Amino acid sequence: MKRFLKWTAIVVLVLAVIAFGCFLYLIPPFFVVAPETFGKQMMDAPPPVADIADPKERAIAERGLYIVRTTGCIGCHATNGSQGPDLTKYLAGGALKFQTAHATYVSRNLTPDKTTGLARRTDDEVKRVLRSGVFSDGHVVEGSVMPWPVFSNWTEEDRQAVVVYLRHLKPVNHQTPEPVPGNAITIPGAFEQDYGNKDYGLAPAK
Amino acid sequence: MATAARFHAQPSHGKQVYDAHCAECHGESGAGDGPSAAFLNPRPRDFTSGKYKIRTTESGSVPTDADLIQSVKQGLYGTAMPGWDHVLTDGDIADVVGFIKSLSPQFQSAQPMPIAAATPVPSSPDSVGRGQKAYEKLQCAKCHGTDGRGAGAVTTTFMDDWRQPLRSADLTEPWTFRGGSTSRDVYLRFRTGMAGTPMPSFKDAANDNEMWDLANYVVSLARKPVWSMTADEVKAFYAQQDADAKKNPVTRGEYLVNTLGCTVCHSAYDDHKRVMPGKLLAGGLDIRIDPYGDFPAGNLTPDKETGLGNWTDDEVKRAITKGILKDGTRLLPFPMDYGSFSTMKPEDIDAIVAYLRSIPPVVNRVPHLKWASFPVYMWGKFKMLILGGDPPIVFFPSAGGR
Repeated sequence: MKRFLKWTAIVVLVLAVIAFGCFLYLIPPFFVVAPETFGKQMMDAPPPVADIADPKERAIAERGLYIVRTTGCIGCHATNGSQGPDLTKYLAGGALKFQTAHATYVSRNLTPDKTTGLARRTDDEVKRVLRSGVFSDGHVVEGSVMPWPVFSNWTEEDRQAVVVYLRHLKPVNHQTPEPVPGNAITIPGAFEQDYGNKDYGLAPAK
Repeated sequence: MATAARFHAQPSHGKQVYDAHCAECHGESGAGDGPSAAFLNPRPRDFTSGKYKIRTTESGSVPTDADLIQSVKQGLYGTAMPGWDHVLTDGDIADVVGFIKSLSPQFQSAQPMPIAAATPVPSSPDSVGRGQKAYEKLQCAKCHGTDGRGAGAVTTTFMDDWRQPLRSADLTEPWTFRGGSTSRDVYLRFRTGMAGTPMPSFKDAANDNEMWDLANYVVSLARKPVWSMTADEVKAFYAQQDADAKKNPVTRGEYLVNTLGCTVCHSAYDDHKRVMPGKLLAGGLDIRIDPYGDFPAGNLTPDKETGLGNWTDDEVKRAITKGILKDGTRLLPFPMDYGSFSTMKPEDIDAIVAYLRSIPPVVNRVPHLKWASFPVYMWGKFKMLILGGDPPIVFFPSAGGR
């Protein structure tokens, strides 16, 4: 009887270790989703433009949606929930932290929220970031953090379409921190290190 | 002056403003080779040459201080150069212009030679008509086309003095005219020429009145931008754009590759975060994602050995939309963002492939990606999920060069 119990305990323990191993192996962020599933998520994530009343605005926003979705703005400007990116808070920022030789940055809230998002910025200010990397406080962001040098190649009309679409996102109150200047590189030979497992945004502003 | 400045312990105020706001594109030395320069079209100005497009001075002359201040304040439309008015103070701008001038010996050896003032010819149907004749006489259509958009042009692609590609201006899109879109701005470009580009000064080929008429004609070519169109016009415009894209997949593909960010990862860098000459799209940035492994960005040029030359079109498309390589290896959905790219229209993906096939092959052997070994992966995952660690995604300049 004792022997039976002992063997049972060993088997249970081994199974538990294996199960725990499988759990560790498979749990996100190891992406075991099929590419099709992943693509469909990206396809469905951006809020549609169908209910924009003005037909001209709708047509332009639709072009903007296509650019925003295919360019993958969500890759950095997502908001992390407990189970990975929370796509219902589309482009509310905070999911990625960037450390370079010049500063530490966190991806920003692009939704038209009045206190934490782009509703605080004029169209020209938003376009200036997309075209030249110059923020409203005058600082220039590095192109390896926010790839504005490639967005600079958008035609002015496409850039306008992007801004029009961003104005029609669902506003999300999600404060993201301002950049902190100073060399933040800790890994020798690296020119940038990014972090992406948490929500690096701050608590919602009151 | 530049040498003298180097011996001062404290850099001048102009240099400080320059380092904070200009060096990202124009480079620390002012040679137009900052970290962002390689992605920009047109390239940022090389301040060491003393050649400036936007001037009120004779062909071959350096610009006046007022010209430089104007360009800094207003920015250059259709480029990445923003207007710094309201961002920098007038004092900052004056100091940074002083510093920029110190980067080129031209400013020490020569004085600016402003052009003589000319009486403007106000725009009228007559003036526009005469301008059209001048357009023919001066053979503008050779580069800009009979419609101002390149129709029937001998060629619309050139090399500038720095051997960078250049496209002749689309005269129907005045919001992209670098120096502004008033008749006076356009007249000045004819009168002074655009240094460093094939656009000459027409001072000897035409008189002032002809150049003013021509400016009025060019201004009259403007089409409506999208934001001024009606709903139906917007739809028709986009339909036309889509049709043009289908007709010229390589041009469309070039636009997509240069705006989607392919170049940011699929290039090799030096230690100053600059793309190594000739290595744009030739792969190389090494990305280490703990605990998954090393994922160097591949060579996208059509080189047979080290690039995409031996991949079929379908294999390239599968890599873009599904993250599966030629040998069947599956990539993580980050940083190769195939999830987003898979939402592109099929014709856009075809266009990207068409463009990647059209660029010159570059030999650059990028190491194969390396998955972390099983114990390293499991330990990394344990640290991350159980101990709450936050492993970084680390970018190294160049996998091939290390």
